[in-house]
Amino acid sequence: MPCFRHLLGLWLALAVASSSAWAEPKRSAKDELRERRAARPEAHPNTCATCHASLPEAKLRLPAVQYEKSVHKDPRIGCVGCHKGDPEDPTVRAHAAEGFIPRPPHDAVSAICGGCHSDARFIREFNPRLQVDQATLYHLSLHSKLSAAGDRNAPNCADCHGAHDVSRVDALTAPVHPKNVVELCGKCHSDRERMKPYETTTDQVLRWQRSLHAEVFATDQAAAPTCTGCHGAHAGAAAAGSTTHVCGACHEEQLKYVRQSPHAKPFEQLGLSECTPCHDKHEALATRWLVGMAADSACGKCHSLDEKVHTAADEIATLLSGVRERSEAARESLQDARRAGLLIRGAGPILDELRTQELKLRTVVHTVDKNQIRVVARAADEASLQAMRLADQARTDRRVERRGYYFALGLSLLLLLLLAAKAVQLERRRRREA
Amino acid sequence: MAAPVQGWFDDRSGWSSLRKRLAARRVRGNSPLLYVGGLLAFLLVLQVASGLLLLLHYQPNAAEAHASVAFIVGGIPYGALVRSIHLWCSDLLVLTVIVQLFSVAIRRAFRSPRELMWVSGLFSFFILLAFAFTGAVLPWSQDAYLQARVGSEIAGQMPVAGPLLRYIMRGGDEVTTATLRHAYGFHVAVLPAALTGLLFVHAVFLRRAMPEPTSERTPGTIPIYPDYLVRLGTVMTAALVLVISLATFVERPLGVAAEVTAAAPDGASPPWYLLFVHDLLLRAPPELLGVPSAKFIVGAGAVVILLAFFLPFFDRRGSRVTAALSALLLFAAVMLSIHAVL
Repeated sequence: MPCFRHLLGLWLALAVASSSAWAEPKRSAKDELRERRAARPEAHPNTCATCHASLPEAKLRLPAVQYEKSVHKDPRIGCVGCHKGDPEDPTVRAHAAEGFIPRPPHDAVSAICGGCHSDARFIREFNPRLQVDQATLYHLSLHSKLSAAGDRNAPNCADCHGAHDVSRVDALTAPVHPKNVVELCGKCHSDRERMKPYETTTDQVLRWQRSLHAEVFATDQAAAPTCTGCHGAHAGAAAAGSTTHVCGACHEEQLKYVRQSPHAKPFEQLGLSECTPCHDKHEALATRWLVGMAADSACGKCHSLDEKVHTAADEIATLLSGVRERSEAARESLQDARRAGLLIRGAGPILDELRTQELKLRTVVHTVDKNQIRVVARAADEASLQAMRLADQARTDRRVERRGYYFALGLSLLLLLLLAAKAVQLERRRRREA
Repeated sequence: MAAPVQGWFDDRSGWSSLRKRLAARRVRGNSPLLYVGGLLAFLLVLQVASGLLLLLHYQPNAAEAHASVAFIVGGIPYGALVRSIHLWCSDLLVLTVIVQLFSVAIRRAFRSPRELMWVSGLFSFFILLAFAFTGAVLPWSQDAYLQARVGSEIAGQMPVAGPLLRYIMRGGDEVTTATLRHAYGFHVAVLPAALTGLLFVHAVFLRRAMPEPTSERTPGTIPIYPDYLVRLGTVMTAALVLVISLATFVERPLGVAAEVTAAAPDGASPPWYLLFVHDLLLRAPPELLGVPSAKFIVGAGAVVILLAFFLPFFDRRGSRVTAALSALLLFAAVMLSIHAVL
């Protein structure tokens, strides 16, 4: 038994030793330096920052001031995190230190940032949720390719995120914050002068601002994409080839129905994506019903009026506009009743149902199959009808109740008249007696 | 059929003999005081009855208060009527008491031996105003919230007692959800108990102060039964008709639910009987005699109220100063209110 116990102990010791060796890969000199600095920051002052912060020239002082407020202010990073050199030399000689990069070249920035941001083990110490694929994705982008070719118009990391003043992406003031990112992209992409060499349009932001995406984004930032929602933040894919996948990532059902529809085959043969033949990729106006042969409708883009198919399109359009009219009328009616102080029991669930059916209808439209569409349209109409009935019922109830008011008023008036008559009668009798 | 039933009932209730006794007694039929008391009692009963009905469905917490009032108005048969009656009735009560107060003051009806009736009556008036204030908070609409804030802020300007009064009105330092609970407790428990006690005292003084009904047929007197009671009934029924008409034809909108974090919109409108104070505060220069004008005006008001309690004791026989001052005060308040409305 004791022998067995010894064996078990030995096995355990071996297991612990080997597992720790596996978990801790060899540490570099850089890691050790970082750890030393983090452990005793007071012993390793950031002399670059202290010196630059005291300089009289604003241009030289600003980086140190900005750094103080940036997300990179940390003894493990410091100025040398990007600029290299020796941070512990308090003299001007530090500028001559080996490897010191006073002004990183435009196309070298992504490598400097990536030096840390692609290092999963290092990033994990700060923010375990942060991705480490930004540099990889950026190097795939057109931005990166142009930048590498010496085009200073093509943005590097710092052009979007800021350099010394870089802040967290979720800080409201960050230029890359979802609220600000449209403006950020637009700064270049809406600038006709700047975009001229690239022979591309400059109306993307304008079109997006008119889209349902923008409308939804205004109230719920998580519910609708801005530029980066479709193009990715770093990959900067001109989404052309992958439109279907990009749209389909959120609009799954719609994509499924298009693929079942008679449009699927011709779109494929023509090399078109499933979405863009009808929808503008930036304007994406789902609020307007696109179906029909009217001038601004989608069907007319490919089909001509003498085709047989136009009657089907018109039929679907009529069906849709009918549903829309009835649902608007029902909503209006409920709203009016509410404004009149009526509390309508069951209105909430009915309105939810109506909304659900309308969403379904918007989805099933992509089959362009009028039988399927009609089924959903009927369900939506049924919900509208019920909502209408509820509002009418509430109004009728209120009218009946008002009759009760008048009855009470009449009754008390009658009583008043009787009593007044009696009082007058008594008065007369008293006078007679007097 | 009727006679035996009447006899049976008389045996048990003594109605016939009471009627005979009342028929033999006479009161001065043209004295308005005889009707105002009855009218106020009737309005109070109406208020209690409608209040009890509202109490059945009202939820006294900030999360549900507004929705529960909306439910009373929209979801319960005749709930809107009951709520309207309660609101109009409260306005009529305040109006009647104000009229009563000033008519007593101007006619100097508070003179001996009715001094304590005046004091207890004035106390009751302020209890009534407290009812109105707390009641206005209960729907927890945006207006209710603003009234709670502005009302307690104005009361807080009072010298000495101001901060304490504001603390009580708010149920804390700020208007919060605790204010609502506080107002509810006062409205349905504290104030009714206080008013009941005060009215009891008022009635005790009344019994001693009123001239005993006579049995002599002097001119101007009428028998209590049926003449006086029919007249009183007519007055009460007229009030009922008025209340129901107002409730039927003039809407009292509930307004949107209070949004405590929302910015206060301009022009929070006070109840009609405080319009003149509001107008004064708005139009006064920032400082009066070196004191912030809000403090000055509210302080002056507090002094007037304090003096009003002692009005019967300042009064000198043959002097009309108190009556003239009361009339002047009423005139100024009415003029300022009209000015505020315009």
